[in-house]
Amino acid sequence: MPNKKFTLPFFRRIMVNAVALSAALLLQFLFFTQTLSAQDLTVKGKVTGDAGAPIAGASVILKGTDKGTTTDAAGNFSISAPKGAVLIISAISYTTKEVRITSAAVSVQLELADKSLGEVVVVGYGTQRKKDVTGAVVSVGEKALREVPVANLQQALQGRAAGLEVQRVGTKPGAGAVIRIRGERTISGSNDPLIILDGIPYEGGTLNDINPDEVASVDILKDASATAIYGSRGSNGVILITTKKGKPGEAKLSYNGYYGITKVSRRYDVFNAQEYVAMRDLGNNASAPYMAEELVARTKGVSTDWQDLMYQNGFVTDHNLSVSGGSTGGSTFSLGGGYYKETTVLPGQDFGRFTLRATIDTKVGKKLKVGLNTMNSLSLTNGSQFNNPMFPIVTLSPLMAPYDSAGNIILSPTGNTTDRVSQYSPLFLKNNNGQWIDKVRRLRTFNTLYAEYQIITGLKYRLNVGLDYRQQENDQFQKSDKALFPSYFRPKKGNTASVNNAEGWGYTLENILTYDKTIGKHKFTVTGLYSFQEDHSHNTSVSKDSIDEDFIQFYNLGQANASNSSKPVVSGSEVFYALESYMMRVNYGFNDKYLVTLTGRIDGSSRLAPGNKYKQYPAASFGWNISNEKFMQKFTFLDNLKLRFGFGQTSNQSVRPYESLGLVSPYNYNGYSSPSVPGGTIRYNYGPTTIVTGYNLVTLPNANLDWEYTKTINAGLDFSFLNSRITGSFEWYKSKTNKILYGIVLPVTSGVNGEYTTNIGDMENKGLEFTISTVNVKLNNGFTWSTDLNLFGNRNKLLKLTDGFTQNIPRQLFLGHPLSAIYDYNKLGIWQLNEAAEAARFGNQPGDIKLEDVNGDGKIDPNNDQKIIGSGQAKIQGGLTNRFTFKGFDFSFVMYARFGGLLVSQLHQPFANYTNLTDGVRNAIKTNYWTPTNPTNDFPIANFTSRLRPITTDGSTLGYYDASFIKMRSINLGYTFTPAVLSKLRMQNFRAYIAIQNPFVLYSPYMQIGGVDPEATGTGNQGIQNPGNLSSRALTIGLSTPPTRSFNVGFNVTF
Amino acid sequence: MKKIFSKITVAMLSFSILLFVNSCQKKLIEKPFTVFTTDYLKTPAGLQTSVVALYSGMRYMYGPNGALNTTNSGTDEWSLGDQGASSGLDCGAYNLNSSNGDILTPWNRSFNNINLANAVIEFAPDVQMDAAAKATIIAEAHFFRAFYYFILVQQFGAVPLDLGSGDFAFNQKPFQGFNRLVPDLLKKNYQLIIDDFTYATQNLPTKRPANGGFYAYKSAAYHLLAKAYLFRGYSSVKQTGDFKSAWDAAKYVIDNQAALGTALLTDYADIHKEGNDYNAEILYSVERIQGSPFDNETNDVSNEFSGKANMSCNWYNANYQNNVSINGAFPCDRVIQYMRPLRQLCPNPWLYDSAFADKINDSRYDNTFRVVWLATNNNAAASGINTGDTAYYLVPSKAYGDSLRALGTKKYRIIDPTQFYLVSRPAIQLYPSLKKYDDTKRAVPNDASGRPYVVSKLSEVYLLAAEAAILDGRPGDALTLVKVLRKRAAYRASLASNPTLLAQREAVMTNITNSDMTVDFIMTERSRELCGESLRWPDLACRNLLVEYVKNRNRNLVAAPKVQTFHNLRPIPQSQLNAMNDPDKAKYQNPGY
Repeated sequence: MPNKKFTLPFFRRIMVNAVALSAALLLQFLFFTQTLSAQDLTVKGKVTGDAGAPIAGASVILKGTDKGTTTDAAGNFSISAPKGAVLIISAISYTTKEVRITSAAVSVQLELADKSLGEVVVVGYGTQRKKDVTGAVVSVGEKALREVPVANLQQALQGRAAGLEVQRVGTKPGAGAVIRIRGERTISGSNDPLIILDGIPYEGGTLNDINPDEVASVDILKDASATAIYGSRGSNGVILITTKKGKPGEAKLSYNGYYGITKVSRRYDVFNAQEYVAMRDLGNNASAPYMAEELVARTKGVSTDWQDLMYQNGFVTDHNLSVSGGSTGGSTFSLGGGYYKETTVLPGQDFGRFTLRATIDTKVGKKLKVGLNTMNSLSLTNGSQFNNPMFPIVTLSPLMAPYDSAGNIILSPTGNTTDRVSQYSPLFLKNNNGQWIDKVRRLRTFNTLYAEYQIITGLKYRLNVGLDYRQQENDQFQKSDKALFPSYFRPKKGNTASVNNAEGWGYTLENILTYDKTIGKHKFTVTGLYSFQEDHSHNTSVSKDSIDEDFIQFYNLGQANASNSSKPVVSGSEVFYALESYMMRVNYGFNDKYLVTLTGRIDGSSRLAPGNKYKQYPAASFGWNISNEKFMQKFTFLDNLKLRFGFGQTSNQSVRPYESLGLVSPYNYNGYSSPSVPGGTIRYNYGPTTIVTGYNLVTLPNANLDWEYTKTINAGLDFSFLNSRITGSFEWYKSKTNKILYGIVLPVTSGVNGEYTTNIGDMENKGLEFTISTVNVKLNNGFTWSTDLNLFGNRNKLLKLTDGFTQNIPRQLFLGHPLSAIYDYNKLGIWQLNEAAEAARFGNQPGDIKLEDVNGDGKIDPNNDQKIIGSGQAKIQGGLTNRFTFKGFDFSFVMYARFGGLLVSQLHQPFANYTNLTDGVRNAIKTNYWTPTNPTNDFPIANFTSRLRPITTDGSTLGYYDASFIKMRSINLGYTFTPAVLSKLRMQNFRAYIAIQNPFVLYSPYMQIGGVDPEATGTGNQGIQNPGNLSSRALTIGLSTPPTRSFNVGFNVTF
Repeated sequence: MKKIFSKITVAMLSFSILLFVNSCQKKLIEKPFTVFTTDYLKTPAGLQTSVVALYSGMRYMYGPNGALNTTNSGTDEWSLGDQGASSGLDCGAYNLNSSNGDILTPWNRSFNNINLANAVIEFAPDVQMDAAAKATIIAEAHFFRAFYYFILVQQFGAVPLDLGSGDFAFNQKPFQGFNRLVPDLLKKNYQLIIDDFTYATQNLPTKRPANGGFYAYKSAAYHLLAKAYLFRGYSSVKQTGDFKSAWDAAKYVIDNQAALGTALLTDYADIHKEGNDYNAEILYSVERIQGSPFDNETNDVSNEFSGKANMSCNWYNANYQNNVSINGAFPCDRVIQYMRPLRQLCPNPWLYDSAFADKINDSRYDNTFRVVWLATNNNAAASGINTGDTAYYLVPSKAYGDSLRALGTKKYRIIDPTQFYLVSRPAIQLYPSLKKYDDTKRAVPNDASGRPYVVSKLSEVYLLAAEAAILDGRPGDALTLVKVLRKRAAYRASLASNPTLLAQREAVMTNITNSDMTVDFIMTERSRELCGESLRWPDLACRNLLVEYVKNRNRNLVAAPKVQTFHNLRPIPQSQLNAMNDPDKAKYQNPGY
């Protein structure tokens, strides 16, 4: 950390300058005036690009001054300049050109930059020309990010980069997604990649905080040689997000926005009244007789479709306004604000986000550059915590009428008495009317400040300061049930409310020295870093019932009855961690042919025990630009061919803070209660008044806890042919992770109920990645067709467990298999009538599930007859984008596909969601169940759960399906107005488009059997009863808001 | 290569140190505010709160589903009610295997508390605190260590004394073995249980104040010590003098009632009466607070079927609600006073026909079972039954039912014992429903109970002493004690004003002789006195009576033909075997499973 005496005045100077400059700049741009000198010429010119098309917004700068302008929509500009002066003309995607003024009319044609080679890639603590990169790095540019109108960055990245797997984990608005780079490397820790926003680690947060419209590019570092600079956090890959910055030239005002309607794309298939009666008559009718209303309904032919009654149209809307620009002196700014809102097909569920952003970069004198970027977001999510009415919607009796003869909602339209006590009609949800509040409000402000000082030519010092603050409040309220004013969430109960307030803050300080030197054909860049990061978080949670009046809601939980039954539950937690790092990187290039990158990093972390804190991370990589060799010059079709090879070691920070210390806690460790849950604390009473709290040992200390280390080798080939009409790359990698951490489930006889986290085991990931971009057709009339395709496959395998296990069933770990392996009985089919005798030998009857007797001993038992029946791992996955342009029109569609792997549909596991019980008590997901006259092998006899069977967990075998799918993610059609029209409108750019998001699924075996969507709705067990073979990392499909499709209309306008 | 990297990193390090003077290394030390390490157990507060956890852990053993099923289901007293019948792996069906969920309750909730008791016993001597308070804490730790072990031994047989760091030692090692294959382990188990209970009888506080809370007192330790001697006497590791020792421990309580603060109540009906949970006959209860789910460690008191929720109030109820109609109408709603009809446990005909053959002179049948349900609505008004009128009456005998029916004046539905629900007789889901655990101070009918769960009663001490005397060859000593209880059983509040009738009935009840004093008699007396109190299954298994009694008396279609001697022990749970690092798991399993 820099010394204080130095820091204060230094910072103050920078701050004062930055503020003064930005104010001056703003004024300048707001009241733009131009003065003419007498001796200057008024130069008029036109800037054109490829095929003479005008370039709008190109920057024209008078060399050696800060005077400049930009071209209008027709490519024209006008500037006053002395004769003989030089104009610097630049535009995005074109090579910059200098033109000497010889007359008052100038015509400049810019050449398209060779994009793949000239492109700059963000590589962490700096940037590199793409052709100098030696690690496995993939970039997703602004265009691709903007192609699909999405709520968050994860969705924008889905299917966009080889090796980057984005899997959705929810269908409610505001739901996140799981991002994996080249598979998984940890069992118990986080497999999430490190996210760096404008150079500063983006901790403790959800990517939902970032408005995708503010992002200029995303670079993904995949292999160890690229990520070793992030040392202990590099294992899971690194995602570098760069936000938009201003560009020199006249201030521009842009608006991007769209509005769309959301509809259910596929409904859950449930039994209709007739099918329900058929199923129910086979079921457990004796203990759940028809309700009187149902018997009447049967004679009248009533069939209520609860989904029809509940689903409504949602909408999605996004508006972004930004002003950006800059002076020719190198000062730029960009200010923006955004609003996003999404509702869905169920009442009470929505997500909204407001964002504000400002970026200012400026020069102070010739050697100092300072900048500030502030990103602020406020998001509101409703209905994400307890509002999930899908269970009644799917399981309510279709024989029950929704409304009585007077048109009032029938209070409790269940088909059995048991549910009458606790289940009200979900139709009450359509009108909140003070019934409930289910809100998450999140505020985040993420700020980065930098100062870059050029000490001598080639030697730069840069200070990055990041300051991050995040606050989240979860508010819940459920009103009390009253005779004339029922409360859907609290049948026959009083009100309840809770507030959870969590805040986190942290800072990052980075000191970076960079030295660039070229000696003849030798080119060096040396980067050195010292950084320190600290992060704190804390939460307080209170819940209370018996609040005096419903209208108080959650606002004052003290205005409540303080009797015994309704004590407030108060809990809290605190987490702190810090990281100290040293890093050095050397890039060396010889003659642009041979490239070497050497990296070393040391990280010291608070999470490891004293004496064990500092760890080292080396990496090296090499590149060979084959196309620059003499012998390759004859292959003129070849633009670029580069071979890369790298290896290195990284780790992940999967030891949680305080984890090495061991834990004695007052919380019931029974897998059900948790600190924030009422009743989760160990309590006892001696007599009715003396109430005390107890503490018990939960986890054991482990001073030897260490990170998980991943060694990766990576080989890559980049290619570009035919004037960059075909560009792409291959990557091959293999990584081995050792010292895998996981929480060993100790036998309870060890006297410790909690897991014991320790380093144990090795695993491997290997894979191939292929990316190609082609311009398939490019006609003189302006028609182009281009394609981006990426394909990749990762193979994960557990190699070793050092505690003597070949399979650790409680943790669902199996040597030689992927982490996502699924271990269960193997369902062969259904016992048929002609197999009655054989079924009886297993203790089964026809209609039961027929399980494989793996060891052939004539009985099914848990020790010998469960096996690996598959895994969640995809064989291959990828994305395909096709773009067509003609005149002003552009048309594109984006596809995403996964092949192979098993999915877990808890919808179809009878005891998981109770949506497939078919016992006649409730309606169910429609399945092809066995009857003596329907000898199917799909699903067992309707009442099988109430039969006596040797294996009562056999129902879980009904939930495994082929996870393959091909999805159309979006279809977009846009039109960009011609310069002639634009100039009339006084616009620089105007594009209007329509887009259909998630229009259809092209292929999915799961949907063929009745699933609604092959993508997961969550991780781990989502059911009521855990089938026991789902680790918390398994992606599973539960009962959630149905998938939707949206129809959007949008505009991009620049003034 | 590695060396080069080390050199580079060393170079980097020195380079960085040159540049940045201040070090942030101090910031890398963790100082958590809310995380307690095992050092906390070495403080006075830590010892105190550990003991609370030991008390609280007993809530798992008395009241939750797993506890009720493993101790009552599949006995001569109880078989499965109509809703319990669906679970193929239920304890009541003897279709048990290691995946059964009920057995996890005693198994999973004991060893961490045993380990904690070990920690208290190990650390307490070095903790600076009030000597008397410390002595009590240590005695409580011994009491609970023995208690948890005793429950385990009753259900599973021999269990480890060495949790990973040696016998009786606090284990802080991540031990993945299972020290069950130790020679004479069961013998050592019983020795520890008896030593610990003996220590507790000597060091626990003596007298429970009238209506005081149930800390562990000497009387409870004596009660459990007597039972431990008795069960060891029946076991394969019996020692000479076990029955005599059992007699001595039990007799000490019987002879020192005033000093220990205990006494038999006059009226059997008062022992389990709601609102009278702190009466003098109870020696120890696992406590809860009525109407305070959070303090009872339950989150969702209506739907939580796991954890520490006391389900006893709902577990034994018949389907009074929507099965037996009166001319097509159902006059009883699910209401708080009749509890949730979970229909898990249903009495066997042996219990209501044989054990409680005398329902007149013996008040205990009426005070144990609910046999009348009053209408809670006017659904059956057409049949003349309005709210508050008798809706169902489970009559004591078929003859009595026939005579009532013959009157032709009764509007309520008369159901006689030949119609009570059985798996083989599924039409009517009504049967006498145990009412000892009634709790009307719950918010909604589905809620779990907030009442303390009785563990030790003075009456059981009488029966243990009597049994020990019989086995020790002194039936006369047994007879005296049994008569005390049987005489009390004749008492009803309604007879207080009719001493003649009371005396007649007392005479009938006490009309027994030395020749009646057999273990069979005692076992039936235990049913009359203690049925449904989470005692019966271990009572049968530990006396090796399980197979005989279940075969002859249990009317579940599956249990009687299936039950075998190996069922005297439960299987070791599969989760235990799966978590162990020895791949040869079979040798740790109890035989037969």
